[in-house]
Amino acid sequence: MPAGEAFTARQADDILRAIRLGESSAGMHIRVYVGELVGDARVAATRLHAACGSDVADTVLVAVDPGSRSVEVVTGAAVARRLHDRDCLLATMAMTTAFSAGDLAGGIINGVRALAEHARAPQSLHRDTP
Amino acid sequence: MGRVSQRSLLRAAAVAVSVPITLLALAAPALASTSGSGDAGPGLTVLQTVGIFVGIPVGLFVLIWLLVYAPSMVKGPRYRPGLTWWAAARWFNGPPQGLSGVSGVAPGPDTTKGGGASARW
Repeated sequence: MPAGEAFTARQADDILRAIRLGESSAGMHIRVYVGELVGDARVAATRLHAACGSDVADTVLVAVDPGSRSVEVVTGAAVARRLHDRDCLLATMAMTTAFSAGDLAGGIINGVRALAEHARAPQSLHRDTP
Repeated sequence: MGRVSQRSLLRAAAVAVSVPITLLALAAPALASTSGSGDAGPGLTVLQTVGIFVGIPVGLFVLIWLLVYAPSMVKGPRYRPGLTWWAAARWFNGPPQGLSGVSGVAPGPDTTKGGGASARW
């Protein structure tokens, strides 16, 4: 399998910008993986999620495997309280719509935006009182 | 808005240039010499004949092929649904340690108590 670059520099920049915007608005780590998910896609995605450093509970992972045409969203334990499975499903639908039209970068950006939109940062109560 | 007006300007220019050229080209027989002396001239050499009847069509063929395929050849392969995936795995905003030790990590409670969604296309 020849290894090439699937995204142009501009597409990669756009994806990274969407991720940064989403992270700052939603207050969670958003990580995107594009590549092969060996074996069962869900199991492989959870393994990837578990390997996402120390802040796993606060991480949402978007794993896209264009080869087997599957996309997985894995939310950490803390994120799952704010970002419900139904919201993740909506985000995957936004992604697959673009993917099936051949727009990999656009789909990822849409998905990241949808995830961040549904997972607003938790309100910090009593911030105004000392 | 500026984009639209620029496009319509381009279109108008294309029509304004192409219509007179087409008319003149089609009217060329009308400008032909009518002396009718019957002098056929010296005739073409083999090389000239081949150049005109083979070289020009082949040249046009190559030119059009280049115009069609050059952009995608420069850009390289892109994703198409249904074809095999060729690119190496890639992270965006990935974990600092990368993919090392992924296969050895068993998902902990921080992952398994979470949720998510799956989809295929």
